[in-house]
Amino acid sequence: MASLSEEVLLVVKKVRQRKQDGTLYLMAERIAWGPEGKDRFTVSHPYSDIRCQKISPDGKAKVQLQLVLHTGESTTFHFANESTALKDREAAKELLQQLLPKFKKKANKELEEKNRMLQEDPVLFQLYKDLVVSQVISAEEFWANRLGGLNNSEPAPYSNKQEVGISGAFLADIRPQTDGCNGLRYNLTTDIIESIFRTYPAVKQKYSENVPHSLTEKEFWTRFFQSHYFHRDRINTGTQDIFSECAKQDEKGLMSLVNKGVKNPLVDLLSLEDKTLDEGYGLKQALPSTSNTNKTVKESSNAAIIKRFNHHSAMVLAAGSRKNEVPADQASETSSTDGNSRDSDFFQPPVKKVKLQEAIEYEDLQRESKQKTVALNLKKSDRYAHGPVPLQSQKYTTSQDIINAVNCIQQEMAHYKPNLTQVREQNSNTFLPSTEMVPSDIQGELKHLYVAAGELLRHFWSCFPVNTSFLEDKLTGHLEEMLQTAYGKFHIWQTRRMMRKT
Amino acid sequence: MKLNIEGLLVYFPYDYIYPEQYSYMLELKRTLDAKGHGVLEMPSGTGKTISLLSLIVAYQKAFPLDVTKLIYCSRTVPEIEKVVEELRKLMEFYAKETGEVNNFLALALSSRKNLCIHPEVSSLRFGKEVDGKCHSLTASYIRAQRHSNPDQPVCRFYEEFDAVGRQVPLPAGIYNLDDLKDFGRRKGWCPYYLARYSILHANIVVYSYHYLLDPKIADLVSKELAKKSVVVFDEAHNIDNVCIDSMSVNITRRTLDRCQGNVETLQHTIQKIKDTDAAKLREEYRRLVEGLKEANIARETDVYLANPVLPDEILQEAVPGSIRTAEHFLGFLRRFLEYLKSRLRVHHVVQESAPQFLKDIFEKVCIDRKPLRFCAERLQSLLRTLEIADIADFSAVTLIANFATLVSTYSLGFTIIIEPFDDRTPTIANPVLHFSCMDPSIAIKPVFQRFQSVVITSGTLSPLDIYPKILDFRPVTMASFTMTLARTCLCPLIVGRGNDQVALSSKFETREDFAVIRNYGNLLLEMSAIVPDGIVAFFTSYVYMENIVASWYEQGILENIQRNKLIFIETQDAAETSMALEKYQEACENGRGAILLSVARGKVSEGIDFVHHFGRAVIMFGVPYVYTQSRILKARLEYLRDQFQIRENDFLTFDAMRHAAQCVGRAIRGKTDYGLMIFADKRYARADKRGKLPRWIQEHISDGSLNLTVDETVQLSKHFLRQMAQPFRQVKPPDRRRVSLRATSPRLLSLCRRTSWVCLC
Repeated sequence: MASLSEEVLLVVKKVRQRKQDGTLYLMAERIAWGPEGKDRFTVSHPYSDIRCQKISPDGKAKVQLQLVLHTGESTTFHFANESTALKDREAAKELLQQLLPKFKKKANKELEEKNRMLQEDPVLFQLYKDLVVSQVISAEEFWANRLGGLNNSEPAPYSNKQEVGISGAFLADIRPQTDGCNGLRYNLTTDIIESIFRTYPAVKQKYSENVPHSLTEKEFWTRFFQSHYFHRDRINTGTQDIFSECAKQDEKGLMSLVNKGVKNPLVDLLSLEDKTLDEGYGLKQALPSTSNTNKTVKESSNAAIIKRFNHHSAMVLAAGSRKNEVPADQASETSSTDGNSRDSDFFQPPVKKVKLQEAIEYEDLQRESKQKTVALNLKKSDRYAHGPVPLQSQKYTTSQDIINAVNCIQQEMAHYKPNLTQVREQNSNTFLPSTEMVPSDIQGELKHLYVAAGELLRHFWSCFPVNTSFLEDKLTGHLEEMLQTAYGKFHIWQTRRMMRKT
Repeated sequence: MKLNIEGLLVYFPYDYIYPEQYSYMLELKRTLDAKGHGVLEMPSGTGKTISLLSLIVAYQKAFPLDVTKLIYCSRTVPEIEKVVEELRKLMEFYAKETGEVNNFLALALSSRKNLCIHPEVSSLRFGKEVDGKCHSLTASYIRAQRHSNPDQPVCRFYEEFDAVGRQVPLPAGIYNLDDLKDFGRRKGWCPYYLARYSILHANIVVYSYHYLLDPKIADLVSKELAKKSVVVFDEAHNIDNVCIDSMSVNITRRTLDRCQGNVETLQHTIQKIKDTDAAKLREEYRRLVEGLKEANIARETDVYLANPVLPDEILQEAVPGSIRTAEHFLGFLRRFLEYLKSRLRVHHVVQESAPQFLKDIFEKVCIDRKPLRFCAERLQSLLRTLEIADIADFSAVTLIANFATLVSTYSLGFTIIIEPFDDRTPTIANPVLHFSCMDPSIAIKPVFQRFQSVVITSGTLSPLDIYPKILDFRPVTMASFTMTLARTCLCPLIVGRGNDQVALSSKFETREDFAVIRNYGNLLLEMSAIVPDGIVAFFTSYVYMENIVASWYEQGILENIQRNKLIFIETQDAAETSMALEKYQEACENGRGAILLSVARGKVSEGIDFVHHFGRAVIMFGVPYVYTQSRILKARLEYLRDQFQIRENDFLTFDAMRHAAQCVGRAIRGKTDYGLMIFADKRYARADKRGKLPRWIQEHISDGSLNLTVDETVQLSKHFLRQMAQPFRQVKPPDRRRVSLRATSPRLLSLCRRTSWVCLC
């Protein structure tokens, strides 16, 4: 199981385990301990196997660290270096504290999933035994191929989960606290950051552009909260502010939302009025055109707030239902692709009709007896009436055909004379050899070998096209070996069979 | 079901009927019998439209000679379409019950924008563009030009209609806007002109008010409608403003500048024509001598808006000699323009009446009254003669000409106000001449005079007696119906105080008061926590809403509200508001819940319904008084006082309360619906305000809900919502609690007979 090159994060010497002195290694994916003077690890736990770590109380003489595994076993390390024992342990503990959570979620889920799969699928279990337990291929490789395939082939159980929306007030939840010395402290959680990203894609873009290179994460958020973008008087965004672009993008997003128009004709204020008065008529003069120019700063900042709330709410709403939105969009797109944009007109009436019908309905004036039923939408009613028909028959059998056939069969049955000898002879020709001559255990073995070889071949072919060095290694290195092993196994089995037979 | 309304057999397409619908039909029938006018108020959601349609259709079938046509006017396009759908339902029911083939023709008429099927023209976004483009393809001289020049583009749909469509009347049936378009596409006919042509022989016409009230359009579309028609104005609570708007004109410097440009263009065109085709101008001159009547055989496609209510006698006269030739007329227009320009160079506000204006213009530039009256007609004739394709460009000069005609025709009911600047920005010179109509009866008078029955109806018409006064007519029936309810599904509450006992009010003195704003915010916050799904809040004006939203934002109230619901806010941009509205509905639909902040008198408050979960509570912040400092309003109030003896305060309160009622009424759209109506202003508790609310709201305001604090409101609302959230078990007859009746069992029939409910089924 030795991986070729592992990053060693921490080495602690003079650590005792089972009264043996040794060295503790913390690596990228596992923790290992080897006795002193020896070249191998006697203890090695992937982080994903570790449930938790425990440490001995401070006052105790022995400075110890205990790892509890998912299986319930535990391993105790005793830090024996007198002068630095406590420090060593703290270092190991800190590091573990950082590492374990990363693996925890993934590990748990994966383990569960693997277990479930093995239990549910006896063939897979057998395969696992054949290939992994007998060390033809490593467990990782086995699962890497399996889980991926599984995820791809049936995504249903995963995507069925309802997506969690965003709280409308997530910005309100990051109320700053004064830290006592003329500053503000914002507490950000991953949830809030995700909410910000989902609601304001522009910020996310900025984040991915800037964060690792030009800004640290902390600086980024500090600037975010300092920026005018976050605050209400957005109109004054200066050019040096990295978020000024976001504001523009938001504006654009809002515009595009507005320009998209509304689907429900009953709320479309633009088409509400039948005949508007011509310019110059009426009591109220056209205010917007004149007042736009001489708006005070306060008024326009008020307008900005209003715009912002509309945008914010729309984005929160969209973030919650983004999944559903995509197919709807596609549907409308495909429907409007034929012809010009006005063609959406042809598409519109059904929605309109339904809405109008809804609006004029008086359900309490109607008799209740009318139950609302779901209309059966039959594309081919013939098929519905006759059930599925094999593909090769070119045309569907009509009812008359079926009646004729039944009559025919009835006649045949009436004149049926069993010819038993012939039946038996035919049977003996075809079926007997396999069942009688090959015992079931051999059949089983053969089947296992076949499945195992098939799995290996699958691995083999999945390497093509060979476009990474890893694949090449796999192909030329151990896969060949594995196939060799498998072949060898088969050979052994075959000779054993032959031996037994003779 | 079939009903017997005082001897008239009425088919009603539902199995049950609300009692108020029955009484409504009764009153309506009496109105029709008396051949008079009526004012009827019935709450929204009680099936006003279907009652109206059922009765009038039955009346038309029973007395085809007395009532030949129903003209149904509604406010918005969706409402028009709703009416037609209800009519369709009724006609289907008729066909089912009687087994006869429907021989009624009913259709909706709307502007070109909603009816055009020409691929290029209909793709334009604004109504005005569509009109202009259509005109440039269908005007009579354009089509005449085509004879000589086949490359001239014309609208094939109109050509086809003109060639074939007029001979074959539209087959009987119910045509909504989409049906007309479909029909037009099938036949290759223009649906708009088909509809305009067909309304002359249709049994039922559904269109918007403007086609009847705006004289510029009415003259074009509705002039020839039969006298024996019944006219219904639905949602008519705002009808006086529609009338006034259609007769009022504003002239700014920009208008005059554009007008100047128009006149120059006309001058050039005249010069050109003079060189090439002088005969044309001579021909026009000859026609003008013969009189306007002949000159004005305008083809229907020439959309020069007709003169605003020219008295008939003028049409018989010849155009005065001083403006008969084209150049003279242009000179006349120039003089008039110069005069207007000089009038706009004022430094203080001027207010004068029409006769004063005429006297002044005569003294200064020697323009007589008579040629002014012909101004609009003369301009149209000129534009036609000059074969101007894009009349939209000439809207400024048309406006000025219309103004000239109006100001010289009416000596009473109008006022001229010249303001050198906007009141809010006194430093910026922006002179405006308002020629404002103060008397709504001027525009509607021809309707009352011409048609035998005019019915004004709405969900909120209280107090009823004010409408006959301001519209100047004498109704034969006036009735207000309340809503019979199986459960009290509306809960009006008047919040007068905050939790800290601060009086809540939007009145001017306390408008900026921090405590009031905070308490308003508190109210919204508390309601957002207890009301499910949608809440709609109305403010008295847009500026007020902006200020309150800003200060709520500063106080962190909005953020707290966001914890409960999403917030959407109406803006002055209609497209943006539409988007916000749709998102609002989406948020209510998916269970997140939302709040819509909106403005009374705004588009949302007038045209959008918030049924069921789209509006479980309406909060009216303040009393929506109109901006009282405006001079136009002051002039109108004065006029109302002098002419109709309506006190200023009465009218202002009436106006505020009808808008408040409109706002809160948006949430209840039927008896299965339920909603809170929260009036957040202590002034609502006063008898003079409360008394002007519609009866169906008033009678649910108990003394216990008059001057509540925010906390008490929350308690009452919680209780109400908990009760309403129980499944609404509809108790069907013969249980007496049932509010709609169905006469099937003999027991109920006997009950009906005792209570004068006569049912025939």
